[in-house]
Amino acid sequence: MAVAQPNRLQEGGRIDRSRPLAFSFNGKACEGFAGDTLASALIANGESLVGRSFKLRRPRGIVGSGAEEPNAIMQVGEGAAAQPNLLATQVELHDGLVAHSTKGWPTVRFDIGAINDVFGRMLGAGFYYKTFMYPRSWWKLYERLIRASAGFGRAPGEPDPDTYEHMNAHCDVLVAGGGPAGLMAALAAARSGARVILADEQHEFGGSLLDCTDSIDGKPGAEWATGVVAELRNHTDCTLLPRSTVFGYHDYNFLTIAERCSSHAGIAHADAEDAPQGHGDGGAAAGRGSGEAVAERLWRVRARQVVLAQGSFERPLVFCNNDRPGVMQASAVSTYIKRYAVLPGRRAVVFTNNDSAYRTAIDLATAGAEVAAIVDSRPGGGGELAGQARDLGIPVLEGHVMTDVAGRHRVRGASIARWSGDSWASITPSIRIDCDLVAVSGGWSPAVHLHSQAGGRLAWDDSQLGFVPAQARQAHDSAGAGNGRRSLVECLADGVRAGTEAVSKLGLKPAAVEPPVVALVGENPIEALWRVPAAKDADRCPKQFIDFQNDTSVADIRLAVREGYRNVEHVKRYTALGFGTDQGKLANINGMAVLADILGKSIPEVGTTTFRPAYTPVSFGVGAGESVGPLYDPVRKTALHEWHEAAGAPMEVVGQWHRPWYFPRDGEDLHAAVARECLAVRNSVGAMDASTLGKIDARGPDVVEFLERIYTHNVGRMKAGRCAYGIMLGEDGMLMDDGVMARVGEQHFYLTTTTGGAANVLNWLERWLQTEWPELDVYLTSLTEHYSTIAVAGPNSRRLLESLGCGIPLDKESFPFMTVRPAVLAGMHVTLFRVSFSGELAFEINIDSNRALAMWQRVMEAGQAFDIAPYGTETMHVLRAEKGFIIVGQDTDGSVTPVDLGMNWLLSKEKDFLGKRSLRRPDCLREDRKQLVGLLSSDEQTVLPEGTQLIEETGQPTPVPMCGHVTSSYRSPCLGHPIALALVAGGRKRKGETVYAALPGREPLPVQIVAPTFYDPKGRRQHV
Amino acid sequence: MSESTARRHGLEPFLASAESAAQARVEIRVVSNRGFLNLRLDQGDGAAVKDTTQVLGQPLPLASNTCTAGDHRVYWLGPDEWLIETGADRAARLVSELSEALARYHAALNDVSGGHVALCVSGIDARTVLAKGCTLDLHPREFGPGQCARTGLAKAVVVLAAIDDAPTCTVIVGRSFSDYLCRWLAHAARPHGVHFSMVRET
Repeated sequence: MAVAQPNRLQEGGRIDRSRPLAFSFNGKACEGFAGDTLASALIANGESLVGRSFKLRRPRGIVGSGAEEPNAIMQVGEGAAAQPNLLATQVELHDGLVAHSTKGWPTVRFDIGAINDVFGRMLGAGFYYKTFMYPRSWWKLYERLIRASAGFGRAPGEPDPDTYEHMNAHCDVLVAGGGPAGLMAALAAARSGARVILADEQHEFGGSLLDCTDSIDGKPGAEWATGVVAELRNHTDCTLLPRSTVFGYHDYNFLTIAERCSSHAGIAHADAEDAPQGHGDGGAAAGRGSGEAVAERLWRVRARQVVLAQGSFERPLVFCNNDRPGVMQASAVSTYIKRYAVLPGRRAVVFTNNDSAYRTAIDLATAGAEVAAIVDSRPGGGGELAGQARDLGIPVLEGHVMTDVAGRHRVRGASIARWSGDSWASITPSIRIDCDLVAVSGGWSPAVHLHSQAGGRLAWDDSQLGFVPAQARQAHDSAGAGNGRRSLVECLADGVRAGTEAVSKLGLKPAAVEPPVVALVGENPIEALWRVPAAKDADRCPKQFIDFQNDTSVADIRLAVREGYRNVEHVKRYTALGFGTDQGKLANINGMAVLADILGKSIPEVGTTTFRPAYTPVSFGVGAGESVGPLYDPVRKTALHEWHEAAGAPMEVVGQWHRPWYFPRDGEDLHAAVARECLAVRNSVGAMDASTLGKIDARGPDVVEFLERIYTHNVGRMKAGRCAYGIMLGEDGMLMDDGVMARVGEQHFYLTTTTGGAANVLNWLERWLQTEWPELDVYLTSLTEHYSTIAVAGPNSRRLLESLGCGIPLDKESFPFMTVRPAVLAGMHVTLFRVSFSGELAFEINIDSNRALAMWQRVMEAGQAFDIAPYGTETMHVLRAEKGFIIVGQDTDGSVTPVDLGMNWLLSKEKDFLGKRSLRRPDCLREDRKQLVGLLSSDEQTVLPEGTQLIEETGQPTPVPMCGHVTSSYRSPCLGHPIALALVAGGRKRKGETVYAALPGREPLPVQIVAPTFYDPKGRRQHV
Repeated sequence: MSESTARRHGLEPFLASAESAAQARVEIRVVSNRGFLNLRLDQGDGAAVKDTTQVLGQPLPLASNTCTAGDHRVYWLGPDEWLIETGADRAARLVSELSEALARYHAALNDVSGGHVALCVSGIDARTVLAKGCTLDLHPREFGPGQCARTGLAKAVVVLAAIDDAPTCTVIVGRSFSDYLCRWLAHAARPHGVHFSMVRET
């Protein structure tokens, strides 16, 4: 194993050496251990070059050990289950893992794109805007090339085979981050009886405790953390979410968490220990890509109080070539050594402006590496830890800075100079030290992302040189390092405080929690060191990177300022500082400080940019959850759906409903089936499932008054048992919905609405009743789902119903057109409506949906004697268009008044109704408004495409003025030619005139304007 | 064909192909023989409330988001709206009795039996599965037996009620959404093991 993993230490770490794991990186076979991240395993295997930078394609190595990693962006997995844009530091190693760098072609070691680095001076901030502007017509080409070279990773081309889900959760206290402060906060809250959710992005809780050398209550940090987690697990109302990143803090204390359930394990072995109670990821063994196990889960949490304990990020220092592979965060070096037992280098130089990096020097020396020097910019050096480092024989260069590093694919040496304290005066290095690792600490930035997302303010803390959370805007508090606490002692105590305060605010009695005993280490204060000067000035010296991920350097910020950008938000956008997955984790403070320095302002004056979700990248899959494929949108089915399916009817989607489109017989296509269905209705009888119509029961002492205000016709004049076609208008006078309404009693009406308008109309009516006219006593009840509606239409419809056995006479005198009767039909209770949407003698059977299928089957059986045809929505459309009956939303579009439709006869002059006044607006009185007309194609062949624009004459120059458009268009089987409905400017007075239909790819076709009723214009057939 | 044998709730095709895990932590039963009445009534109308209570033989729940159980189950849907769940064979009689009792009041009673499907969701992971699609707090302390809500479950509107501590919950969904909702439940409950069945309640 030692040969296979040259940088693996012989002992220590939280890895399981009994479980070796094979994986591949850029096609090369590698080996690691259970407990490794991809990053630690890569370091163990000596893979120091993991990617190329975004723009300049410079070689890059691993910098950090967690969410802040800017370089090690990986494509993990292959084929449909591949995941782009993962940070190697956050990918748990599993057997068979396949990882690829996302930049570098043909290989990451030899990248042709690295030519960009040679011309780097020409590719400064904003080059994109300046270079690709000319000639303008080339932009489309430029854009394609830029897009191809931008971004990290590739989205798989195939559908994601994984399963994702959403989970709604509520809690008293949500603790984000399971390090020392988060654990104490959760413990304080849980012991007080609060419902707690503790989420941490890593697979085990403990955060910095997992690699700390301090002892807590006399135990190693990691062991102490295990004890706390065990206690939390015993609190029934405490939900522990490992591998869960709180990535968004939204309004009203709503937070979103992405949990990796099995996506972290290629051949998953979801850790049952860590699985939250009741959320057993059963079947996880099936693994990623199988579609069986839940890969990732989105938690949507409403928390009454939130404790943010996300810790802090160690900042890089800004010097020449500070992006070379082998330059790492000092704290990450410590983490790799102590948690993963890998040694990132053999001969290190540590560069710092604060005390924490001394710990790294000690860790390195203890692990057997040589620490060539600690370079400390502070003239007075470090505190207690500095003494310990000296005791180990490590040379300390106080009052010195690192100006540059040598090496391209790997650091080879560091140049050191005496520090004058002036960031911009040129400086000449006096010392050169050979090394293969540079561990850097520029101080610590609290992870204030969620605090800021929540709308919280930040305050600059000069003593530790960082923004710390100030005023909260929602019910949240910060704790620990994320709250600006530096030492472990303070972090633990701050966690107890935050947890206790959270439960107090909830009115719970806080349980007594004593912070554990930890020794305090004396530190010397940090020194401001935002840019290390170089031998040449900032524009000519080797690149000094601020944002590794976006290739933003000191020179870029200077350029932005030179070009007039002053506001930090503008500079951010011009230079891409803090863009991408970095979201300012490493880069922001250094960038703002350099900007402040250039502008001669203080850092608080310059301020910060806005932090936005997501804190770390979140997969599209977890955002979509279950709402994919058949569950994307509900499919609403009528009670007759299974019959339609068995009959082989293709479905038309109408809103969420699936309605039978047509019922093909013997291989008929749409046209053949529709022609047959239409003729069956016109000549004998057909039946249609009209169940999707909206149905509303309206009753009460004031129901007539209410409906008079809603509908345009005289509702009060309707006698019980009568039906009427009714329309309702919006306040703007435009047609909103239509349908047949029936008066079933003196104070009792039954309203029908369009399929698509059902829910909106009920809301509309309730809104008027509840908010505008509460004095009206009316109750509305939706019966849409309860009643199924079977339309039986055609000259033989009466005989068919009679043959079923009907308890009431159906003749013309007893049961005239536009009336309603309760009846017993085929032994079942129904309500019969004599209404017609086809223009034929027709009945609509309304029946309890539980019995609708039985009724439909009886109708079909009895209909055989009349060669009955079940018909679908297409035939319904043809039949109604032949009669000139409109469909709201097809022949109207929200800009059409009833006058435009020729429905003046429906507008009562004797009463007021919604929208009436608007009809008198001058625009509504214009003679040249678009009006409903019929159209006949001059060639008697062409079915005009719906939406076709109409023009007055041919041969006009473009843009040709349009005078109308086609709204409905079909071939009429019973007339033998095409028909169309259209809205034409001033159309009603233009009957007989010819206009032209503009058709794609052919000459405009002359069409004649006619009345919109093509069949039985006198309406005799429905009255028989 | 008699009316009772012709009765279909519409989930028969779904149930015919529904999967059944050997070890189900979630049990979903389609209750085939329920009848439903929708009642609109001003709950401030004491006499009407009293007369309704008398016919029902159990109180009309007046506290928001509660339900009462007796011969029937009555769910509070709003300050002037209730859903009454009863046996399918008793619905017609209850409609006529209640209609008669309410004739002199401003009230609306509608038989909506055909429009609703009742699902009984139980098992130790029942609340967890429901929480995947429902934004309400379903913790037993917040939503215990006797409580109900008209709310969203996945992308359907449902009446959700906690029945007992098993836990058992009733989900009443609009008929046209029932197939979708069952498919969603099957998906959401799959990792927990789910068993679908049809029962008749007496």
